[in-house]
Amino acid sequence: MGELFRRIRYLINRRRFDRELESDMEFHREMAARAGRSNFGNTLRMREQSREAWGWTWLDRLIQDLRYGVRILARSPGFTIMAVLVLAIGIGINVSAFSLFDMVALKPLPVRDPDSLVRLERRSPTNYTSEMPYPSVLFYGEHAKSLSAVMAVLGVPGMQVDDDVQTASTTFVTPNYFTELGTPAGLGRLLDPERDGSVSNAPAVVLSWGFWQRRYGGDPSVVGRVIHLNKKSVTIVGITPYAFASLGGQHPDLFLPIAQQPYFIEGSNVLTGAGSSDVRMWGRLAPGVSAKAAEQELRALTNELRRQHPKDIWDNEYIQSSPGGHLQVMQPEMYQVAAMVATLTLLILAVACANLGGLLLARAVTREREIGIRVAIGANRARIFRQLCTESLLLAMLGALAGLGLGYVVVRVALAQLDAPKWLTADPDWRVLVFTFAVALASAIFFGLAPALQIARQRQRKTMVRQILVGAQVAASCVLLIVAGLLVRATQHALYTDPGFGYQQVMSIDSQLRQHGYAPAAARAYLDQLQNRLRSVPGVKSVSLVMLPPMGHAVDRETSEINGRTVTIYPNWIDPGFFETMRIPILLGRTFYPGEKNAIIVSQSFARQQWPGQNPVGQRMTDQDTKPLVVGVVGDARINALNDDDATEQYFPAQPDDMPEMVVMARTAGDPAPVPAIVKSISETLDPRLFPEIRPLQALYLDSVSGIEKAASVVSLIGLVAVLLAGVGIIGLVAFTVSQRTKEIAIRIALGAKRAQVLASVLHQFTWPVAIGLIAGAGIAGAASKVLRKALYGVSNFDPAGYALAIGVLMAIVGLAALLPARRALRLDLAKTLHYE
Amino acid sequence: MPMTNTPKDEMPKPGMPSGALPMLILRVLQSSSLHGYAIAQRIHILSSEVLGVEEGLLYPTLQKMLVKGWVTAEWGISETNRKVRFYRLTPDGRKHLKAELSDYDRVTQAIQDILRTA
Repeated sequence: MGELFRRIRYLINRRRFDRELESDMEFHREMAARAGRSNFGNTLRMREQSREAWGWTWLDRLIQDLRYGVRILARSPGFTIMAVLVLAIGIGINVSAFSLFDMVALKPLPVRDPDSLVRLERRSPTNYTSEMPYPSVLFYGEHAKSLSAVMAVLGVPGMQVDDDVQTASTTFVTPNYFTELGTPAGLGRLLDPERDGSVSNAPAVVLSWGFWQRRYGGDPSVVGRVIHLNKKSVTIVGITPYAFASLGGQHPDLFLPIAQQPYFIEGSNVLTGAGSSDVRMWGRLAPGVSAKAAEQELRALTNELRRQHPKDIWDNEYIQSSPGGHLQVMQPEMYQVAAMVATLTLLILAVACANLGGLLLARAVTREREIGIRVAIGANRARIFRQLCTESLLLAMLGALAGLGLGYVVVRVALAQLDAPKWLTADPDWRVLVFTFAVALASAIFFGLAPALQIARQRQRKTMVRQILVGAQVAASCVLLIVAGLLVRATQHALYTDPGFGYQQVMSIDSQLRQHGYAPAAARAYLDQLQNRLRSVPGVKSVSLVMLPPMGHAVDRETSEINGRTVTIYPNWIDPGFFETMRIPILLGRTFYPGEKNAIIVSQSFARQQWPGQNPVGQRMTDQDTKPLVVGVVGDARINALNDDDATEQYFPAQPDDMPEMVVMARTAGDPAPVPAIVKSISETLDPRLFPEIRPLQALYLDSVSGIEKAASVVSLIGLVAVLLAGVGIIGLVAFTVSQRTKEIAIRIALGAKRAQVLASVLHQFTWPVAIGLIAGAGIAGAASKVLRKALYGVSNFDPAGYALAIGVLMAIVGLAALLPARRALRLDLAKTLHYE
Repeated sequence: MPMTNTPKDEMPKPGMPSGALPMLILRVLQSSSLHGYAIAQRIHILSSEVLGVEEGLLYPTLQKMLVKGWVTAEWGISETNRKVRFYRLTPDGRKHLKAELSDYDRVTQAIQDILRTA
């Protein structure tokens, strides 16, 4: 240990130590001269050896190499700028992708103790839902010792603020929401358990910062003001802070205490109904308790709950916990998509590195003299190799800096485009910095090692390296092109293909009857009246009922085994006019009769799975308890599963008991704009307590598609950049190859060989790498598209047209890249070439 | 390679065994602190001029001993009234000297045993 300190002291006081040594030796020389001995020896060598004893020579050499590297790079600014640019793109894209992933999945929320937050959902081997009944939340909260707190979040349709036309998004939360998160108030106060925990407290509302700015212009006097939400009076008690971090990335305009839910939504039994899953549950693990331990305790509690309410809990139900302390609660499919994106960005880096490797190789020729001289005066090859590696590292670090800058810009743009929560910034955190450094190191190895080895060994045959570089570039570009092509086609599919139902002129009208406590008979009466009134509105062509409206808030999904294959089924409950309203074609049989029981209508793809080659109409569904009769087959309509190409649908006739859950669907002709206002006024006359949520399907559909569109265009752009990079790289390599052998080509032509033949033989070395690159690229792309399918629809595994197109384009680029420099060679002035040394 | 002081009228001296110099320096410093030239002189004289210390070896060795902490260097005035650094043995150095001496004795004994029996 002491030795290390001594060495460090030397490092700090180097000059002084050196001077002291010099004075010692000076003195020694004087004394020796006096005694008549004048041969002191090689001072310089002595000093060098003395310095070596302190063990910092490696540092000296490194600094020397860095200085030298900087000089070399400065001497050829064109090359340096090109190289840094290429690296900046390659590294920058990876940094951007990682930054976004970091924000979504790795960065902890800026709340109190984010690591102990968990999201709790009901699961069973066959069922899955993201919400649970509020009484269950209370039950778990009371009895679970492994959770120090539970929170519930209930999203509701937008509420009308005073007399505004536009509604404000609203969420009900348990009063400990803000206190658990430790959120400071932006203004006024936030909800807390003492003042907002019971229905007897005065109703309070908390505004979001954004809503406060938009609606009230940031006027601080709104705190304490009484406003009306859906005609109910409530006091504004405070504003959330500007950089508010909420659970699950939601950002509603208004926060209301959940105890007040029945006050705002009259007749609601959400808080007491044990049978309906309405709220989202979050929890905080008790100190020292792991998520696994909590899940075990919850499982036992769920069993207890089943004993108390056997009808409301599924068989083998358990509560699953996912880490809740990040922006997004990650599902396994998301990790797959993230992995795929990572692979793509790394591929781009590979193209950039291969590109750069080629540039370095070409430059090596111009440095042969310099290196030859150094070897001649005694530098050993290891030293030269180390110095070249240092140069590569230097380039890589410059590229990393530029890449960080590029990544910062990209992330800033992305955050603005995606309307991200305000607490996210584009500033890189330590994870991003470490990642950037690691990527820079990896690329330095990748693009620097091979050429450095070649140069240091002074081998003339650089063919192998060149071939590898070309092959790698071709393979990486192939994957990128194919994937980009697939994504573009998926976008087209998304925009122009029929999802199976007519969304253009249809709107859903959700009166939330169950939430307002309507009994089935009253609901039936209300819905009948509403539908009749709607039908008499000019412009309304067709009206019907459905329980789970298209692109609605709730989705029901089951998986089942049919003939050994797993099938995903989306069940729904409808009235007979549904297919006509939604323009879903009836392919076989008929729709339901009014009041029909124990019947079922299936979608075409389900029929094909369950009864291949037969006519399903008239058969009975034997795997359901009541064995319903199949009365019809309809076309596939992904009303609740736009992304799932394998989805199948089953439709059941809505029974009287289902009425409070039903949603009205209305198809209009002509301009749909005035209809919502008419619907509102009809609803007011029927029951002023209700505030139906009216959603035009077209806007929802385009919304869901636009996200995909944006992503696809970004990926296509990236793919294009990568391919261009590869093209430029290949041009460079081929030009270099040709220029190396100009003399040989000239001689062969002069001796009578056909120009084309000579060129073919020169370029022959590249046929294998290109072929292997294309095959490898297609293979990798095939694997990637499997994962892509989960995230996008319209992407098929083996889309021969897409693959062929991509490979064709790539071969064209490669061919062009090869021929352009070759053309110059073909027009050689033989005499001049042979004469020129 | 630095040249040794070989006056023309003397026979070439036998070289010093390579690992011996640190030990010799430590021993020489045991009795008093000396500057570099004095160390070389001492060794030369005490060995009856058989062993000469090459300067090219002396100073690097001294540096290594400084690194290892066996000696420290302090400024003092030489006999010629010149400021120069004197090297002094440290407690660590004394310990190391004892170890080196016992090692050397063992090895020398072993070699002599072999040579005698042969």
